[in-house]
Amino acid sequence: MKAFGDIWRSNLFQKWLMAITGLFLVLFLLGHLSGNLLVFLGQAHINEYAHGLRTMGHGAVLWGARIGLLTFFILHVASAITLSRRNRQARPQKYARVEARSSTLASRTMLYSGLLLITYVLYHLAHFTWGAVHAQHYAQATFILPSGELVPDVYTMVVKSFSEPLITVLYLLSMVMVGLHLNHAIASAFQTLGVTNRRIVPLVRTIGPALSILIALGFSAVPLAIILGLVKI
Amino acid sequence: MNLRLHIWRQAGPNDTGMLKTYDLANVSEHMSFLEMLDVLNEELIAKGEIPVAFDHDCREGICGTCGMVINGRPHGPLARTTACQLHMRTFKDGDEIYIEPWRAKAFPVLRDLVVDRGSFDRIIQKGGFVSVNTGNAQDGNTIPIGKPDADRAMDAAACIGCGACVAACPNSSAMLFTAAKIGHLASLPQGQAERSSRAMNMVLQMDTEGFGACTNHYECEAACPKGISAEFIAQMNRDFVASALGGKG
Repeated sequence: MKAFGDIWRSNLFQKWLMAITGLFLVLFLLGHLSGNLLVFLGQAHINEYAHGLRTMGHGAVLWGARIGLLTFFILHVASAITLSRRNRQARPQKYARVEARSSTLASRTMLYSGLLLITYVLYHLAHFTWGAVHAQHYAQATFILPSGELVPDVYTMVVKSFSEPLITVLYLLSMVMVGLHLNHAIASAFQTLGVTNRRIVPLVRTIGPALSILIALGFSAVPLAIILGLVKI
Repeated sequence: MNLRLHIWRQAGPNDTGMLKTYDLANVSEHMSFLEMLDVLNEELIAKGEIPVAFDHDCREGICGTCGMVINGRPHGPLARTTACQLHMRTFKDGDEIYIEPWRAKAFPVLRDLVVDRGSFDRIIQKGGFVSVNTGNAQDGNTIPIGKPDADRAMDAAACIGCGACVAACPNSSAMLFTAAKIGHLASLPQGQAERSSRAMNMVLQMDTEGFGACTNHYECEAACPKGISAEFIAQMNRDFVASALGGKG
């Protein structure tokens, strides 16, 4: 029997780790997206939802989710860095000429789209979670829920932020990166996890890229609707 | 036809090597790619130059000995075709052809287009076999094997170990080769006894040899002269995790 450390360090285990954490991050994105789309239902809905997230289980659920997400994120990035370094070392001498047959722009740029997404995530947290950038929009406004509670006005914060073209453009470009990364990632994760069923595999290879486009479009819908004036205060 | 060839020349494992350009005239379209290189070598020898070293054996596409990257593709532009079965009619007069060795840390260049594929042998030694007692061979029909299983095993066993999958992979990963060997034996009853340790040991040996990891581009599948499916890689991934969890590997 092999030692746990030998298995942990192996390329295949690192790949497996990347796939499973990646799929959890995709599930998080789907949850995040469904919350975002509440903007279209109006100010009360999204503020109530945001308040609910913060207070569920006296905040324990939110913090549990945050710690889980951070762990997955770190494992995902760490395995990506480990594997990318090894993959580079595996071909010290490049070809003078390479003709790709089946790789795609998305599959060849996973490392770069991933690195850009790390900077985006930091910016995004600094913007909406920490209020460290664009602080002028950061939830100074308050909102009275139908229940009578006074809560931070997430809706106004979002609408004010995305009324600035520069912020909207930054977010839209980032969503292109999300789409590009997921375009290869989703189906790829299923392959790494070992799905060989010949009915499921073609389905996954179709749904994966389609889902990546839907997620990118879904997230883009909010800033687009705001900058076009369809959603306003 | 007249061709301009850019061929990787490297005197030995420690030489840095470089692409050298050769003009070759009157190439017949009926020649195989290797015969074209034979003609070039005859000319080089006549001029007192050192001929281009390249691996070859059966020249009928079944042994896996030949292999070179031709215009950026292992074994050249045709699908499911080894370099020896590639014919010059695929090219046209005036073409420039780049000929390079397999590129991987685990396949060090010995000379020109010849690489050392001993790393594949060491992966096989880690479990690419079934252990059987010697003595009289049992009757071939003693163990019933369903046609779909036999076919699947054969699909994987078609691997000739040429290394085109490693050459095509942007990460020089040997996963298609190793997965084919693991998948071949995992499809058959005879392979079950050592299935768990085989998957574990062969996978870890790939890392030891310095092959990269799979990023699911499927360039290997597209380059494989035997058309082996990347589905076997998924199966290997599963067998590896099962072995790790089962603790038998």
